[in-house]
Amino acid sequence: MSTKHPPPRSFPCGHTSRREFVWELGHGFTGLALTSLLAGSGFFARHGHAATPASANPLLSRPPHFTTRAKSCIFLMMNGAPSQVDTFDYKPELKKHAGKALPADKKYINSGGRRVGYLTPNFREFRPGGQSGLLISDYFPQVRQHADKLAVIRSCHADSHAHGSALVQMNTGMPLIGRPSLGAWVTYGLGSANDSLPAHVVMLDKRGGPISGQPNWSSGFMPATFQGTLFRPSGDPILDLRGPRHLDRKAQRNQLDLLQQLNQAHLDARPGGAELASRIQSYELAYRMQAEAPEAVELSQESQTTREAYGIGKEPTDEYGRNCLIARRLVERGVRFIQLYSGGGHLEETWDAHESIEKNHGRHGAEVDQPIAALLTDLEQRGLLDETLVVWGGEFGRMPFSEGKNAPGRNHNPYGFSMWMAGGGIQGGIAYGETDEFGFAAVRNRVHVHDIHATILHLLGIDHELLTYFHQGRKESLTDVHGRVITGILA
Amino acid sequence: MNPLTRLCLILFVLGTGSPPAMSAEGRADLNWWAFQIVERPAPPASSPAVHPIDAFVRDRLSREGMEPAPPADPETLVKRLHYDLTGLSPSEETMAEFARQADNASMEKLVDHLLESHHFGERWARHWLDVVRFAETNGYERDAVKPNIWKYRDWVIRAFNEDMPYDQFVRQQLAGDEISHPTEQSVIATGMLRAATWNDEPNDPQDYKYERLEDLVDVVGTAFLGLTVKCARCHDHKFDPIPQRDYYRFAAAFWPGPIEPRARELMGGPTAEELGYKDVFGWTDLHRSPSDFHLLIKGDPGRPGASVAPGHLSLVPWLDTPLHAPAPESKTTQRRLQMAAFLVDRSNPLTARVLVNRLWQHLLGRGLVGTPNNFGFKSEPPSHPALLDWLAADFMEGGWKIKRMIRQIVLSETYRQASIHPHESTYGVKDSGNRLYWKMNRRRKDAEVLRDHMLQASAELNLKSGGPSFYPELAPEVLEGFSRKSSAWAPSPESERRRRSIYMMTKRHLLVPLMTAFDFPNSEKPCGKRDVTIVAPQALALLNNHFVHQRSEALARTLRALAPDATIAEAWQKALGRPPSLSEHASCHAHLAEQEQHFRQQGSEYQEARFLSLASLCHLLLNTNEFAYVD
Repeated sequence: MSTKHPPPRSFPCGHTSRREFVWELGHGFTGLALTSLLAGSGFFARHGHAATPASANPLLSRPPHFTTRAKSCIFLMMNGAPSQVDTFDYKPELKKHAGKALPADKKYINSGGRRVGYLTPNFREFRPGGQSGLLISDYFPQVRQHADKLAVIRSCHADSHAHGSALVQMNTGMPLIGRPSLGAWVTYGLGSANDSLPAHVVMLDKRGGPISGQPNWSSGFMPATFQGTLFRPSGDPILDLRGPRHLDRKAQRNQLDLLQQLNQAHLDARPGGAELASRIQSYELAYRMQAEAPEAVELSQESQTTREAYGIGKEPTDEYGRNCLIARRLVERGVRFIQLYSGGGHLEETWDAHESIEKNHGRHGAEVDQPIAALLTDLEQRGLLDETLVVWGGEFGRMPFSEGKNAPGRNHNPYGFSMWMAGGGIQGGIAYGETDEFGFAAVRNRVHVHDIHATILHLLGIDHELLTYFHQGRKESLTDVHGRVITGILA
Repeated sequence: MNPLTRLCLILFVLGTGSPPAMSAEGRADLNWWAFQIVERPAPPASSPAVHPIDAFVRDRLSREGMEPAPPADPETLVKRLHYDLTGLSPSEETMAEFARQADNASMEKLVDHLLESHHFGERWARHWLDVVRFAETNGYERDAVKPNIWKYRDWVIRAFNEDMPYDQFVRQQLAGDEISHPTEQSVIATGMLRAATWNDEPNDPQDYKYERLEDLVDVVGTAFLGLTVKCARCHDHKFDPIPQRDYYRFAAAFWPGPIEPRARELMGGPTAEELGYKDVFGWTDLHRSPSDFHLLIKGDPGRPGASVAPGHLSLVPWLDTPLHAPAPESKTTQRRLQMAAFLVDRSNPLTARVLVNRLWQHLLGRGLVGTPNNFGFKSEPPSHPALLDWLAADFMEGGWKIKRMIRQIVLSETYRQASIHPHESTYGVKDSGNRLYWKMNRRRKDAEVLRDHMLQASAELNLKSGGPSFYPELAPEVLEGFSRKSSAWAPSPESERRRRSIYMMTKRHLLVPLMTAFDFPNSEKPCGKRDVTIVAPQALALLNNHFVHQRSEALARTLRALAPDATIAEAWQKALGRPPSLSEHASCHAHLAEQEQHFRQQGSEYQEARFLSLASLCHLLLNTNEFAYVD
């Protein structure tokens, strides 16, 4: 049944070319982050030779490796790990074998040493959606209406059964902290299409951040420019956007005018000070960001109908609805990578349904179902769905058996779980891969986290083997020596 | 050394530019320049009055038809020396003194004074903490604080302040528990081996111990040898002569330590009884005769290969002798002690080169080898190979003394050059990266110094040294990113929060945004060279962050009592260390008036408007390029 992975790629340690380029790149990052911007504005014409922007703004928009439809990615992160057999992977066998133990030949690590119960069928009904008849459970009735847009991958697997390392793997490829996140790789590869907003945005659940925190949106060994910027859903979306109240825009402009005058005199006495010129420009950019970043989250600009469609203004959908709508506004503004966390903090505050699937998934499903459905509708209506890749999933899945006798919860399961993608470049209305009869482990067309990453990059026009970053004598890539594009879900 | 190698080395010592390609098929072999014993080259012929460092640098420049920049003016130099040696700004009196008299003797006196200051260690320890991926928590799920790890930070500060010879510095961090007369301090030094991330809930605890070994091999290989030894875990190194077997021979030094999974509370370390000290976060062997250690085929813990005896790196064949059994009375294997001996042997070609390059990089803004953590085939070739060797030889002959080496460098004319050059427009095209040091590199202050200087400008800096770290105040929005919000962060009392940045808590999941904005490293991997980015969020931080406004207002409060005209001059003196020019003074005067009028229009009382306009001026001075950069 199971198809084997192709042999791993050759080790990336095997290339010697471009060394000079890399040094120059490294050097360029140190001093010239904004020079291309300046060159574009004719700034350097006044400042002699420094006009040669060796490598320029690390966030300058760059062409992809090949032309694709998707320009941005929205990653809907179901933090805590939803249960596949209760959402997107229907297993009628569980009903037949309910109350029996998982067959002994199916080996697993019992994460956290929790109680092991018996095979337990899905807690809510599955029903077909759309023309395709894709089976989706009643935890996602509204998403089900978009079944024909979804490519459900039912054969995902990951390497860790613990949230901390599994989240880090879903975000960076490795279950060890320290590597750049997917969003960092995307922005490193494509740059930003908007000067006044961060290119890589992360929105957390109000209940808290994910376990392992910052490393989940880290830039790892790349410059900090590529790390995710935390965006808040109202008021000032990013840190330090506003000073004390008395320093209003006029007072701040007064400050900046004198500041730039002093800086200009300082620069004039230091010919060739490209880094000084860059810093002058960064203040003007910051001044613009102060106005444009809050505007991006100003949802009063949206119609009442739109806000209601996302479930804004009512519980329990208000928070995720806002985030989804903001994500659409960010996509419109050229932000490359947006990650929206559902679930924050610990245990039942996330999708980590140890106690009760029905209680937990009932709660979190109700929070996100309408907003996600509205996002798909909205993107489609505005002609943006083609340009946007939407990814849904958690860090792993859950066991097909209960946590203890007749217990209503399920423990962690990295051996098989479901994710879905929709939008730019995705073939809708299909299910890809299979888990075994109980939904325990991926058995057919297995898809590792590396393959998910390779596919996301591919859909954004990036070859995951070509996008490398030279670090400590090695060409690093998101997928390391692994990863293959899941061609079966491409349009 | 064979004759051909020697010839190559001589050519290379003579400074023929980049080193000869002593390698075959795109990889380094044992003839690679960095693997040759350091021999002290004679400086190029020049007047005996010329500092040897300058002789090397000028020789290279003159071959390109270039000249060094003129000397920096005394005020610039005094600021530069303070930045480099203590990270604090000079006092007004020091500045005035050097404005009056700035001869060589007084400059030497100043250097000695700064080297003797206990703030010297606070500045230089931070450079080392980057290299050994130091932070005070474990990361991962719980991100727990490593108890007492701050004592290691204090140990590093003290080692720099006491000018501990570098060979001892290496020996104590690797084997402070195994040296002949271990002390509590020398055992604290082994905290270096435990400063990394530590996963208390690894997916597979058996696999995880090999990840920990990889981290240890990485930090030792990187910090002391400038080699990516860890790349040989799965296969022979692709570029450097490090067979896979060497990785395991090297890693075997840590195998007798607390590597096997054990109680979570121990955080992967020994018990107090095993270590021999309470309240110390250190490392020691748990066994005198550990179990066999096996090479892993393709690095896979599921595929153990042949058993491997502990050893050194075969790329230094003359030092690669078998390890001896531990002394009869020893409770440990003494493998780490022998590893340290290998590292600090006078004939180890890498240790001294790597260290002097780090010192040079921090002082000149760019290493002679631009890749300070990698001297292998994938390194950037040294710009001045002979100078590098001269420094390395001089360093070892001088007793591995770091202060002595720093003194050598900062008293050179190369260090004392201006950061602008009359031929900027042509030289800047010819050597845009200033690899030849035709001028001093202008540097943006790093995160710690920026923050410390702000506190100094407002006369608020608390210079208390040592002890547990303080927790700065964080905006509530920052804590939103944390999975346990309530227990995440409890700010220290205010006076503690005004301490120097090196004493700030480094929590892996919650690095302070003001610091990371200015490229504070994430401390997950050894960092030999920080990024220096210039991005808009830095401007946002300095324009709007609460901490910066607090400093601006505090500075304004110190000026409030002064006569209006004196106010401006004093603000400049405190923030920028100099009085304003006439036109700068006039512009500032206009700014005060403009802001005062605006604040009054917005409804402020007269006194309040005056104060706020003064704070506005102080704030913008802290935002200037002059404040952010060191010439």
